[in-house]
Amino acid sequence: MPPGLAASLIDAIGPDAVKTEPEDLAVYGYDADTAEAEHLPDAAVIPRDARQVCAVVRIAREHGLPIVPRGAGTGLCGGTVPVNGGVVITFNRMNRILELDVANRRARVQPGLINLDLSRATATHGLFYAPDPSSQKASTIGGNVGTNAGGPHCLSYGTTTNHVLGLEFVDETGELIRTSIDDPGYDLTGALVGSEGTLGVITSVDVRLMRLPESVRVCVGAFETVEAACETVSAIIGAGIVATALEIIDKVMVEAIEANYHAGYPTGAGSVLLVEVAGHTEEMNHNESAIADIARKNGALSWTTARDAAEREALWAARKGAAGAVGRIAPNYYIQDACVPRTRLPQALHAIDEIARDHRLVVGNVFHAGDGNLHPLLMFDRREVRQIQAVVDAGTEILRTCIDMGGTISGEHGIGYEKRETLSMVYSTADLATMGRIRDVLDPARRFNPNKIFPTGAICGEVTSSVA
Amino acid sequence: MKVAGGDTIVPSTAQELADELRRCDASGLRVLLMGGGTLQGLGNPPKACDVTISTAKLNATIEYDPRDLTIAVGAGMTLRTLANTLAKNGQFVPIDAPHPDRATVGGTLAAGWIGPRRATYGRPRDYLIGTTAALADGTLSSAGGMVVKNVTGYDVSKLFVGSLGTLGALVRVNLKAIPSPQTMRVAIAALPEATRQRALNHIASLSIEPACALFVSGFHRDIDGTDGIDGRLFLLYEGSQAVVDRATRELRSALGAAGVPGTTILDQNAQRTYQRTLDACTSTIAQRSITLRSYGLPDNAFMRHATLETLAQELKLSLDAILDARTGDVVARFVARDAETMPYAVADLVDGARERLSNLTVIAGDPALRIAIDAWGPPPPSFEKLRALKERFDPRGTLAPGRLVGGI
Repeated sequence: MPPGLAASLIDAIGPDAVKTEPEDLAVYGYDADTAEAEHLPDAAVIPRDARQVCAVVRIAREHGLPIVPRGAGTGLCGGTVPVNGGVVITFNRMNRILELDVANRRARVQPGLINLDLSRATATHGLFYAPDPSSQKASTIGGNVGTNAGGPHCLSYGTTTNHVLGLEFVDETGELIRTSIDDPGYDLTGALVGSEGTLGVITSVDVRLMRLPESVRVCVGAFETVEAACETVSAIIGAGIVATALEIIDKVMVEAIEANYHAGYPTGAGSVLLVEVAGHTEEMNHNESAIADIARKNGALSWTTARDAAEREALWAARKGAAGAVGRIAPNYYIQDACVPRTRLPQALHAIDEIARDHRLVVGNVFHAGDGNLHPLLMFDRREVRQIQAVVDAGTEILRTCIDMGGTISGEHGIGYEKRETLSMVYSTADLATMGRIRDVLDPARRFNPNKIFPTGAICGEVTSSVA
Repeated sequence: MKVAGGDTIVPSTAQELADELRRCDASGLRVLLMGGGTLQGLGNPPKACDVTISTAKLNATIEYDPRDLTIAVGAGMTLRTLANTLAKNGQFVPIDAPHPDRATVGGTLAAGWIGPRRATYGRPRDYLIGTTAALADGTLSSAGGMVVKNVTGYDVSKLFVGSLGTLGALVRVNLKAIPSPQTMRVAIAALPEATRQRALNHIASLSIEPACALFVSGFHRDIDGTDGIDGRLFLLYEGSQAVVDRATRELRSALGAAGVPGTTILDQNAQRTYQRTLDACTSTIAQRSITLRSYGLPDNAFMRHATLETLAQELKLSLDAILDARTGDVVARFVARDAETMPYAVADLVDGARERLSNLTVIAGDPALRIAIDAWGPPPPSFEKLRALKERFDPRGTLAPGRLVGGI
């Protein structure tokens, strides 16, 4: 650690807000994707307010250190791992709703607020916050903004960026700047969402809240094959039915989920389709029966509607906890995130299956079918070196396949550290250079979360800790 | 309206457009990018313009598989063509802008135009999933793609929203589409002064929200051709027939309880009538009118409307206004009795409005009137970053200098 760093930080934000001992720092070397804490920060700080964040940014700047903002550490691509050391800023103490404006359906929240806590707090007013990544019980709004998080309900409500009305962030000089999508000029708010902490440190978020729907239906059907479930999804979309979620779970995953959660998913079939529709009662009655007809025409082996809120919640809890059930199949898994145009889903799944087979890996699929957003889970055992390489190779082949189908390499998890070398598979040098221009303006010293998103050499001059 | 300066170039391909930009940039020629020209009254006129580059020929559908619910089009495609293309498959993109026969997809996005239905569907930016832009130095640069969820590097496309042609030229726009609502219905009700507050309270508590809820005063000739009603409620309902029917019943009963005399229902002409309210937002009356848009929260929209009404009276101007109860926008067109008065009144008007309200933008008016005022007012807190972005993307100041906030 650079001399004087700890003293400056403690002086600015207090001794209880600064961690510098290796045993305290170990936890900040991980995210949900990382197996071993290979990279530790020089210090981790837990500020109480935006002013303290400004002070930390200034101190890190004086010491020439990287700054890595971190939410709950549920990221899946190493996005918050301090690969170049530096100061990790964590937001456990900045986790409040600052303003709840029911009349105008908006809220100003601190970045450390847990996603689900926002919807819980607004439910009594008939409102909710729509983006619901599977990690929503733990992940934070600030982290969600960083990765432009999605979730199963993106299909109808859009991703995080569609629900962020404005931001407050600390810029590279340590100044606080507020943005709003109503500001004239370039949409800076939109550019900051999904920038994975590389353009500034977000200290508050203005979010849009939506009215809770009058009526919600969740239906579940079993199909012989994943393809049949995909065809059903296409037919539902083709019929102009606006579903709020269309999720497919393949056989491998549904067996694991049911064994773990007993949520009521039909087992034994090749795939399961989960459909949610929400809106006004008349519309729901109509949509529910129209969807059931479509499912049967596409060979549904069974088709049931959850009877009440408890059944609906059980189905959703199990779906969102799918990754947690994988332990029944293998000691480790690697979840990939890729997106293809909706009509290419059957081919993409077929290709994923073949790639896994070529590498002698078991693959499970649980995905946002309505959005074309795939999440193959490659199962492996970390103790077997061959399998680790196979997973890495298979993961890259899957991404290449999705790009060839007109898709992309991340729908909602982000690029982070893990996928940065693959970004050049999607974008040309000129495209990346344009992104570099934005970085030049907002983070000219490459101090914010260095070595993330961009392939080595695509954006030069990233800051490295003096000791890392 | 004469807006363009110098020669007009109409490139046939994106590459041609990029090459023209590079050529202009290298020879120090200032460029005005032009879509349909329908929103040239928004913002400041450019300080200088040597060449106008039109996107008119970049108007083709580039990729469209209806089953994917995504479409890629040339930035010069008109909103009408986009709507017709999608409508064949029961789809639409909710971009509500004036004069869709001329307004282009790229131009509307670049102008950052937002319409009333955003309360229901979100903003045009929320449907933008990818772009290709020609930068001032002739670089063709893409971001995003043809998928509806995409977190791969920076969302560069967003920066072009609201850039008014000062950052680069959109040449290709990728959009997410959604299924069209089965039914569209407009309900119009005259709201005599005494019933206004009660009616609005009732409407706020309806279980089915209208896709947009406007309170219109004036704009008679522009919207419904009726005279003598000083204020009326304009509601748009969209959805399935059953839902729209229930909404209508609930509305009639709410308005009845508030003492509102009667409600006119339009089904056949709903789309056309709604479009007329959008067209009204930028309609000008020769050199006698200037239109401001006040942004703010829905719950203080009536207060801002009243403030602007008082200002109009003080300056002896008449006021046509569209108040958007769901988004909080107030579009206010100030009209002078004669063309001689307005050039004197316009600076007092804009200054007076800005003394009382923040976040006001000039969105329409004769160029001769707009030359005397700053269309934007005080720059936003992030202005230094915006200015630095402009500098980094267009270091020679080739693109529409001075058109945007703070002289960008």
